[in-house]
Formats: sequence, C-alpha cells, structure tokens
Amino acid sequence: MKKIIPILILLVFLIDFHGFAGNPTVKSITVSGKITDKSTGEVLLGANVFVKELKSGTVTNPYGFYSISLPPGKYNFSYSYIGYEAYEKAIDLQSNITINIELAPKQQVLKEVVVTGKKTSENVDKNEMSVVKMDIRTIRQIPALMGEVDIIKAIQLLPGVQTTSEGSTGFSVRGGSPDQNLIQLDEATVYNASHLMGFFSVFNNDAIKDVKLYKGDIPPSYGGRLSSLLDVRMKEGNTKKFTATGGIGTISSRLTLEGPIDKDRVSYIISGRRTYADLFLRLSSNKDLRDNTLYFYDLNGKINFTVDENNRLFVSAYTGRDVFKNTDFKMSWGNKTATIRWNHLFSKRLFSNFTLIRSKFDYGLGIPAGRADSFKWTSILDDYSARVDFSFYPDPKNTVKFGLSTTYHQFSPGSAKGLGESSFFNEYNLPQSNALEHAVYAGNEQTLTHKLSVKYGLRLCMFQNIGRGVIYHFDKNYESIDSTVYSRGKVFHTYLDWEPRLAFTYLLDSTSSVKASYSRTVQYIHLASNSASGNPLDVWFPSSPNVQPQVGNQFSLGYFRNFLQNTLETSVEVYYKKNLHAIDFKDHAELLLNPKLEGELRFGTAESYGFELFVKIQKERFNGWVSYTLSSSTRKIPEINNGKAYRSPYDKPHNISIVMNYVISKRTSFGANWVFASGAPVTFPTGRAIIGNKVVPVYSDRNAYRMPTYHRLDLSITLKGKEKPGRKWQGEWNFSVYNAYARKNAWVINFVPDANDANTYYAEKTYLFSFIPAITYNFHF
Amino acid sequence: MIKQNILKLLPVVIILALFLSGCTEKIDLKLGGTYTRLVVDGCITTDTIAHSVKLTTTSDFFNNEPSPTVSGALVSITDGTRVFPLTEDPLNPGVYKTDPTVFGQPGKTYTLSIQLANEINGYSAYEAYCYLNPVSKMDSISVVYMDSWELWEIQCWAYDPPQTNFYMFNIFKNNILMTDTINKVMVTDDRLFNGSYTNGAGIGYLRKDFSREKVFPGDTIKAQIAGITQDYMKFITQVQIESGYKNPLISGPPANIMGNINNGAIGFFSAYSVKYCTTIVK
Repeated sequence: MKKIIPILILLVFLIDFHGFAGNPTVKSITVSGKITDKSTGEVLLGANVFVKELKSGTVTNPYGFYSISLPPGKYNFSYSYIGYEAYEKAIDLQSNITINIELAPKQQVLKEVVVTGKKTSENVDKNEMSVVKMDIRTIRQIPALMGEVDIIKAIQLLPGVQTTSEGSTGFSVRGGSPDQNLIQLDEATVYNASHLMGFFSVFNNDAIKDVKLYKGDIPPSYGGRLSSLLDVRMKEGNTKKFTATGGIGTISSRLTLEGPIDKDRVSYIISGRRTYADLFLRLSSNKDLRDNTLYFYDLNGKINFTVDENNRLFVSAYTGRDVFKNTDFKMSWGNKTATIRWNHLFSKRLFSNFTLIRSKFDYGLGIPAGRADSFKWTSILDDYSARVDFSFYPDPKNTVKFGLSTTYHQFSPGSAKGLGESSFFNEYNLPQSNALEHAVYAGNEQTLTHKLSVKYGLRLCMFQNIGRGVIYHFDKNYESIDSTVYSRGKVFHTYLDWEPRLAFTYLLDSTSSVKASYSRTVQYIHLASNSASGNPLDVWFPSSPNVQPQVGNQFSLGYFRNFLQNTLETSVEVYYKKNLHAIDFKDHAELLLNPKLEGELRFGTAESYGFELFVKIQKERFNGWVSYTLSSSTRKIPEINNGKAYRSPYDKPHNISIVMNYVISKRTSFGANWVFASGAPVTFPTGRAIIGNKVVPVYSDRNAYRMPTYHRLDLSITLKGKEKPGRKWQGEWNFSVYNAYARKNAWVINFVPDANDANTYYAEKTYLFSFIPAITYNFHF
Repeated sequence: MIKQNILKLLPVVIILALFLSGCTEKIDLKLGGTYTRLVVDGCITTDTIAHSVKLTTTSDFFNNEPSPTVSGALVSITDGTRVFPLTEDPLNPGVYKTDPTVFGQPGKTYTLSIQLANEINGYSAYEAYCYLNPVSKMDSISVVYMDSWELWEIQCWAYDPPQTNFYMFNIFKNNILMTDTINKVMVTDDRLFNGSYTNGAGIGYLRKDFSREKVFPGDTIKAQIAGITQDYMKFITQVQIESGYKNPLISGPPANIMGNINNGAIGFFSAYSVKYCTTIVK
C-alpha cells in the first residue's frame, strides 16, 4: 500500500499537468452547480451541460453535480436531459459562480408515456461504450412476468446479456458467470439479488431512479468483478411536495411515500413491497398448503439532506427477506444494505464524496425444535466498506477522477446445530474467514480534439486474507494434507494487482463514431453455487493461498451511428474476453457445509467473444429496440471434461430481443416484447449402466448438447384514468400476458423410467410458465 | 442427513412458491451412443452368505433393455491371505457367487479380481479393493407414521463412536428387502453427530402410496446398519443424484459416477460390516 500511494499521486499530477499544459498562463474561472428535476427536486445524473462557444461541455455526476472551468468571457450555456425541457443561459463569466438548474419535465400531449425530449447524439459522441442506461420509465413499459416490473429482467433484454434460466433474475454478461456481476444499490453490493428462488429481483421499481449496466469499459472507480457493473440508484425523495405511489399487483403490493421534511433541503423516501401468496394459501382447503407461510418483502428508505452550498448528506438503507416455513421446515434469506454518503465541495472544481457502506447477506434454514433431526443452519456474509471519491474538473477538456476504497469482508459460510433437547445433532461450524480488499484509482476523461476523445485510468487493488482463519493445504490430487491456523488480526496472504482501463472515441462525422476500449478486471471473491437459477444457498468464498484471483481482459470495438435526427440510434460492437484463473467445480463437488471447499475447485481459462447489434428507436408515439447477439463462451480446465474445452453454462450463440411500446391514445399504450435464444448447453446421457437395480446414466462430454431453442412473446396494455384538473389521484390499469403464445419452453429435461418397466426410459421436459396473465393497478397522488 | 433433508424439501418450497403452472411433457430426443464399458456391482459383508458380484456392460441410453451380462469370467475375492473363488450362477448369467460359508472380517482389505473371457474397451483384467470397516450396533428402532409426508419413518437409537464413520441403512419388512434399489438406501457420514446418541434419527422411509411398502400392525420391521467406506458413501450418493430427478434450482451439472474399479470400468466393489435391529409394529 505504501508503495502505491506515491505512484498514484504522481499519476494524478501527470494527468493534472497534462490537462493544463495547453494553456497554463490564462486564468480560468469555474461555473459549477447541480441539476435537478423541477417537479420533484431529484438530482439528474448524466445531464448535459453544453457551452456553445466551445462546442463542448460536461455531464453531471451521480449526485447531479457539474463543474466547468473557462477563461473569463461571455458564454451561452445549454442544460439538457432526456425527457426534460432544455434550458439556455447566457453567462458573463468574471468570477467563480454557482449555477443550480432546475429542469422541467417535458409537457407533452402524451405526458409521461413517451420518453422523448431533446434528441441527443450521446450514443455517438459520448466517450463510453458497452454501457446501457435504462430509465425506470422505460423499464415500466416492458411487459413483465406476473406484472412484477423488474429491472434485472429488463437488463436481460439488452445485447450481450443472457438470462441464466427461464424466468430467472440471474444474468450472464458477455459469457461470464452470474457471480462476475457487481450489483450495487446506492454503492452497496447486493450479493443475492433474487427473491423466490430467483424468479423476482430485489429491486422495487418504485424506489429506483436509474439503472446503468457496464458490460465492459468499467470506470476505474469500480472493480472487484470480472464481467459487469450494474449500478442501481435509489430515488432521493421529492424535495418539493409529498407524493405517494403504489400498486396492487397479482403477487405483490407496493407503497412508496416521499416528500420534503424541510422544503428544498431535506427530503425522505420510504418504499415497501410485500407478496401475499401466503394469504391465499391460508384460505386453501388443503391442510398441507394452509400450514405454509411464504412471502418476501422489500423495504427501501433514504434521507437526503442539503446542508449548505458545499455539503450534502445521503443516508439510504435497504432490507429484504424471503421467508418460507411450515410445521416441518423453515427457511429464510435476505440482504441488508446501508449507505451513508457525504458530498463535499473542496472548491468549485473539486467534488468529493465520502461513503460508508454496510452490506450483508444471510440465510438460515432448519427443522423446528422437537424432533430428533431438528436443526438450524445459518450462513452470513458481511461487508464493511469505506470509500472516498474525488472528481476534479480542471478545464472543459479534462475530468479527473481519483479515490480509494477499502472493504472488510467477513465470511461465515455455515454453522449448523441441533435444536432442542431431543435433537441428536452436534454443533458444526465451518471456519470463518476474513479479508480486506483495498483499491486506489485515478483516471482522466480527456477531449483531445473535436473528433478524438480518450479515457484512461488505472486501478490498483490489493486483497489480504486476515486471521482468524484456517487454510487447508492440498496435494496435487486436491486431497488435504494438513492445515494452518492463523491468529486473529494477522494478515497471512496478500494479492496485489493492477487494472488498466483505456477507451477511445473517434467521431467520423456528426452522426457516426468509432469507439474502442480495453479493460482488465480482477475478482477476489467468488461464488460456489450449484444452481442455474439462483437459490439462496450461496457460498461466497475469498481468494486465498489456494485460490488465485480471477483476472479478466476485455477488448471491444464498436461503430455507432444515429439516423433520423438522432431518433434512431444504432450500434455494432465486437468483443473478445480472456479470463485467467477461471473457476469451475470438480465433478460431484460438495459445496455446502464443506470446510475444504477449496479442494473442490478447479482452475483454468475462459474465453468468449461476440458481436452485438443494437437498434433503438425513439419517436413521439413509438419507442423500442431490437438487439441481436452472436456469441461464444468456453472454458478450458485441465481436470474437467478430460482437459478439453467445453461450452460455458450460459453460452447461447444467438440471442434476439425485440422490445416495443406504442402509444395508441392519450390514455392507452401497448407494449410487446419477443425474445429468442439458442438453447443453453447441457450434458445428456449417451449410455447407461445398471447398478443396484437402477439405471445410471453415462454422460456425453460436458455441455455437448443444447436445450431446445427458447422463444417467447409478452404483451401488455396500460389504461390510464381520466385526468381532471384539480384531481391529484392518477391511476392506471396494466394488463399483461407473459408467454402469449404459450410456448412450452423447456426449463429442464429429465430422463424418467416408465411406470411399468424400470428399464424403459423416456425424455421428459419440464416447462414453467405458459401463458401467465396478470393485472396490476398503479396509483400516484 | 441434513443435506439430504434439505435437498428433498427444496422442490416443495419451489412448487409452493409459485403455484407453478409448471408441467411436464414427454419429448422426443435423439441421443448419440457411446463405447462399451464393463459394469461391476458387487460386495462382501460380515454376514455368512454367498456374496455376489454382477458383471454387465453399458449400452446406449435409450436401449431400454436389461444390461447385457458378461459370462465366462474368472472372478475371485481375496483378503490377502485367503482366496474366495466365485462361480457363475447357472440361473443368472453374469452373477458370480462365493461359497455360502464365506464372511468378511472388519479390519481387512478385500480385493476383487476379474479376468474376462473377451476384453471390453481394451482390457480383460480388472481389479478393485475395499477396506472393511467395523460398525457399532443399534440399541433399538421404532416405526413412526408421519402424517404430513404420508410415510413411515424408521427411527434409530444408537451411539456413534467418536471416530469418523460412514453408514448405510437398509430396511426389511417381514424379511423382504424394501430398499431393493440403490436409490432407496440411506447413507450418511457422522459429521453432524459424531460421538453422540442418535435419539431416533430417521434412517429409512416407507411410503404409503406404495402398496409394497405399506406398514400394518404386526409387521416385523428390520433395519440393517452397515459400516461403509467414505468412497462407497460418495458413490451411492452420486448414483442417487445422477439417477434421480434433476432440478436447475439445486442440481449441479451432471457428471459420471466415480467407482473403484480400475481400467475404466464403471461400478463399485464394496466391503462392509452389518448389524441388525428388529421391531414389531404395534
């Protein structure tokens, strides 16, 4: 660590010097401020600030802050954001000035239904690729399973993103594993983003403001995962007036309250969601069903406090839990996150953010006391993090970001014990492990010429295993020989890695550009899971002397082109990824309650490449997109599949998503999406052996076969209530159908013996959802 | 046992969770073939009986016939000092049996040798060995009907010695083996109850919806406890998983079972101690 800091400081200075090198003697003056929504006071992130005289500008950071430094003079500023009225202002710049802008949402005939506004050429000229930002309003238009609007399901409709299994919120980005996605809610890691065995995600859309997925080109401020960053931001709460939003759906109900505590200065939001399947179960005449309790809930809360011009404070928290119990069995799991952030302006050019984060995932299951096999099993993963991020705006051509972060991870993979006097189980604890993960980073976004902009950065990261901990030593056959116990607080192993990030954008003309990027990412904590869908029995484990960090290298190249005054955005990207120390599990790996889990791991390489096409249209009445992905993803691990390369579990060569929304009238809109994907790789039996009077399969090579092709059409129609002057209540009905043509997409294929002849087998597919209708009523006042 | 319980219960969770409109449907699927391997299924126990070893071969998965048997092989079991030859049962081709006076002894390692008349997959000589572990006795067993699962649980009272032990349980009803296929036997390690009394842990289940397994007052239930090796426990678990129903929520990737026969043959030759405990259902 001591060695890194001087290097980093040097790097910052180099960037800084470079930034000023063009014109070091002219004094420059800073315009800064924040951009907010006029109606709700929510800050707008990624809003554009454009200086007409320079033909260049900046964008707001995640806290709505912008800063731009210019030589003294008269300028015309233009502030804009998609879906909002642009605002223009002439400024005579003589001394540093703060200009806070409130942008008004566009008053359209078809209010709130269509996301339009100033058509920006961001797709082409922003120095950013392999990134998709989704507005929560767009997400709400997409027909959803059981009417539950789900941001992760929306993300799965984008190029390069595959769903891991039917209806699942697990996703694979560019061939990576689901655990290679860093999912953050207000910067706190969400370790298990799923409810109900993966069929719903933990994000309650009423509390979410903005979602951004980085499939590559991850900014140097983030790391720790190989494949992607899903950055989810919660709303801050309306600073202008009290509002309530809610909905009654087929499986859950939602209510969100927000409003000012001190107008324009302090606001709050509190949002809850709960399913009520179990309430229906109680009415059931079937006793077995009636005795079951089954639900999940989410609770989000946030307070936003503008202390003064230079200081702002955010406190946000999330908790969600799934509970299932009956007289014989009990199981529950959930995430908790809490974030405290303090925005501070050291000067008009130096923005800082100090963050404290806690993130926890735990599960427990067991058999209630009173029986011989009564037991309780719990597992906890707990993170404490602190980070400092700086944004420095030396001039309009450079934006420098630097900072550092540290996280303390505490893994308690499992502790099982008997319950009650009659239980015969002893206490059984897997050893805890602890680790520290540090990072320092610096990067600059620089406009070199009007046509060429670059982005470069470096992230240095360090991972330390600390006691108390037990490390097993394995021989070359992965049998444990002995173990070493390390005392509390002792750092017993350290990994140090560097992650360069590099990107270019070259404008060919005003409507097209070429972009390229390279990124290296390192992952220190990994997930052992036998589930393709997302069951809660996740075992996260750290890198250690036995487990090297996974390292990813990704190259991307893209061509971006806009048509029809930027209402039609298109892009083509190709990527190549090579991962080192890729992890897979040996055959018949024992992942649960296994203290020697590391002996079940096998290491090799993973490779993926692909082609992604994205066409997005945004017209007054019609919007939507088409995405097509052609990809390949394989792994090669010496001890698996006899050392031959095999398809990774989420390798689906062809993937098409078509999403569209059409506004029929002022009060009616229609949504549809169609997805098509090649079948997932699967291992099928090719031979049989009979052992103990039972047919036992002899398998093909790993993942040598494919499941049948998957496709599905979903439809929805939204009817809004009449708007009357003076009436606050706004309601809408949403009717949706999942899998409208009831295709029986195979979820799993089993080989089952005939009821009358144990030697005769046939193949049987299980399909989950065919034609699922749902009704949701949403309201707002 | 905890794990087995959980794995059994999870599907229930899922089904309840969703009122799944999930359904199953027979489909046509073309599968490729594979080369033939020898399959060995045999054991020696501490009982004094004719111990048997069955030799068959693999076939294509959708063959849908009993496995082809392997006749005319020379088969023997040795404990290092004595050799017990096995002779092919004239009524059951492919089944080779010892003399009925043979019994295994704890603490010895038994080796199975097979010399085939014709080679399979390039080999005609195969071998496997297994250590014969001791086992402690059960104090008593009882049969309890569990209403919510509609099955009878056979509960066991026994002391688990402080060493690491691996167990297999078989259930007999009126002297007929109920656990007659390998996916019905129960196996466990003692990781969660090492050195303690079992207090009536479930060691077997008889299901109400199977007329063969239905329990009536007066029935004699006999439980067999077997002290097996860790490798054999793993083997049975693997066979149970791979021959059972797969569910993407909890099942790992399919993988071939791993036995203890050399030269690429499939199967297991096991050696174990057995003890019995009987109760009459009231």
